[in-house]
Amino acid sequence: MTDLKIPYVNLSAQWQSEKEELLPIIESVIASGTYVGGEVVEKFETAVAAYLQSPFCVAVNSCTDALVLGLAALGVRRGDEVITPPNSFIASTAAIVHLGATPVFVDVLPSQSLDPVLVERAITGKTKVIMPVHLGGRMVDMDQICEIAKANNIAVIEDAAQSIGSTFNGIKSGTFGEVGCFSAHPLKNLNAIGDGGFVAFKSEVLANQVKTQRSHGLVDRNTVERFGYVSRLDAIQAAVLTYRLKHLEHTIEKRRGNAALYRSLLDPEFVFVPDDDPRERNSYHTFVVQVDRRDDLMAHLNSCGIGTAIHYPIPIHLQSAAKFLGHNLGSFPATEQQSKRILTLPINQFLTHDQIGDVAVAINKFFHTSLKSSDQ
Amino acid sequence: MKVRYSYLAQQFAECDDLWLQLKEFVKTGDFTLGAPLVEFETKFADLIGSKYAIGVNSGTDAIKLALVAAGVKAGDEVITAANTFVATVGAIAELGAIPKFVDCNDTFCMDVDLLERAITDRTRAIVPVHFTGYMTDMRKLMPIAERYSLPVVEDACQSILGEIDGRKAGTWGASGAFSLHPLKNLNVWSDGGLIVTNDHKIAEELRLLRNHGLVNRDEVKILGYNSRLDTFQAVVGNWLIPQTLDIASKRIVNAARYDAGLGAISGVKIPPRPDGFKIVYHLYMVFAKERDALLSFCQSRGIEAKVHYPVPIYRQEALEKFGSHERFPVTDRHAESVISFPCDQHLSNDEIDFVISTVAEFYSGIQ
Repeated sequence: MTDLKIPYVNLSAQWQSEKEELLPIIESVIASGTYVGGEVVEKFETAVAAYLQSPFCVAVNSCTDALVLGLAALGVRRGDEVITPPNSFIASTAAIVHLGATPVFVDVLPSQSLDPVLVERAITGKTKVIMPVHLGGRMVDMDQICEIAKANNIAVIEDAAQSIGSTFNGIKSGTFGEVGCFSAHPLKNLNAIGDGGFVAFKSEVLANQVKTQRSHGLVDRNTVERFGYVSRLDAIQAAVLTYRLKHLEHTIEKRRGNAALYRSLLDPEFVFVPDDDPRERNSYHTFVVQVDRRDDLMAHLNSCGIGTAIHYPIPIHLQSAAKFLGHNLGSFPATEQQSKRILTLPINQFLTHDQIGDVAVAINKFFHTSLKSSDQ
Repeated sequence: MKVRYSYLAQQFAECDDLWLQLKEFVKTGDFTLGAPLVEFETKFADLIGSKYAIGVNSGTDAIKLALVAAGVKAGDEVITAANTFVATVGAIAELGAIPKFVDCNDTFCMDVDLLERAITDRTRAIVPVHFTGYMTDMRKLMPIAERYSLPVVEDACQSILGEIDGRKAGTWGASGAFSLHPLKNLNVWSDGGLIVTNDHKIAEELRLLRNHGLVNRDEVKILGYNSRLDTFQAVVGNWLIPQTLDIASKRIVNAARYDAGLGAISGVKIPPRPDGFKIVYHLYMVFAKERDALLSFCQSRGIEAKVHYPVPIYRQEALEKFGSHERFPVTDRHAESVISFPCDQHLSNDEIDFVISTVAEFYSGIQ
């Protein structure tokens, strides 16, 4: 997949480590002839609900769809406002727009997490839902978000696409709000071998509603009460996910170990790594640092065979798709400034400590060397 | 004898070579919009005879995204057939558009003679549904659509390789939507769909729409959706696609055997088989007197007969919000009289003959 010495992702390594166990599982689904819905999907829903300690989980085709179905279940419609950060992946905002609602952006803290003070200020009579995004596995301060939501009688939908297994006060991400949306995309910590997603609910009524809505709105084979969507998790993907769920804690621990190693190695004079909140357990879907001369560093690392990425270089409010919302450069200064400084380092569970060390040394050297050359 | 409806266990009983290909594929990690998907899209476009094919997550999404590309927005009216599967209407409703229905004729497709009176100033697109493997009479429909400058999105989910005068379903309108659902004539191991078009601009827009509107990894040109055909399933599709013509042929042969046998029974009426139509029999459907009793009788004899559909879409509760009280008499009559029998490529002649003799026995009993 890549010729880099230290690749950003390594799905081939994951497959090699699992194939002996996973192949027979996939084969049994294929042999069953049940490819859409069925027991395999229900089994995954039960397993992931137990993992999250959430009363109800409904599997769907992607986290984007999870957000659309989740927002729709909360009654979001044309004219409503939904508060969300501008530094997420585009899907968070797209889900709001697809329902005809208005995304109201709120800027972020130095940690890249939604700023609760600004959330409170953004609330209007039209605010229907707050959508915190636990970007990269880092938890938004859910004490404050839940308090604000409760005080204003507003629902919370968590975009937990990147944060399965992250906790805040020991409680799993995606289970604070009425709705929690998760992604099982191939690049996520709990990943399928295709698109996939699921939604956690506190309410059985909402969960059942989404179960109907994900399959044409069909109550039974022949009856439609309300138009729905087609957004089902494939049985094959559900089987893969049920298997991988057992390894998720191990995956997260490996990633957390890699993050701790980076923190101890990277020179804080040049590399800003936001602290974890003492109340959170960050699952490190991504490990994002903030640096000056980001693009130079990225190019340098690439020339050293180290793969990196940027999540995300263009804030949502500055995308041409979002022009109609009327924002411009300067609308969300923290997000804009960070978009020029953030760099995501490889942190996948297949990296060795030596490889993490190589990355950290290469980064430190880049800054130390350029410091020396500018001294001269 | 038991005559089952789903043949999936038989279809994939011997697929060791596919299995090997999948094992090779999963090693690559190329799971979204990967190389086998591009290969499948190319092969599918060739099969249908269109320039472009774009893989999406379902037939429903194929219709929905094709409608977005056709410019359909909230408040617009979209004309479709009153007897279709819920997905056609669901796709229209998802966009906030308003479905307007036209009754069908005995080919289970829109009666094009009734189309023009359904067109209003707010009509933005026409979605003919090539239901059960028949085709809507596109020879009559296209001139009307052109006269009113209305884009046509063909719902070809059930009619892959269906034709009129040698021109395939999905290639008449601006775009054609296909389903790869496990029960379709070309089926993968999950939900899946494709859109075909000859228009480069539409193809480009559809590629954006299915993948969050992303022009590249970081730039979002339009707000899109997440609706990709899994590359894993494209591997299955590539394996199946050489068999597609044979599958259609076998279904046509099966239907001919049914037609001959059931056509001789007085309680059964075979739908018209118009000249120039290649019907691919995703469903083999006939009209039957005492339909409900026949259905129970067949089921009691181990034949998995079905009804598509007992409650017409236009009479579903979900439609109430559109506040139309229009009635569609042909569609209503069909809901009470149609019955579907298994017609797939794995069905044996013995099984077909058993269905025919069972139906004959039923009617001899009630005379």
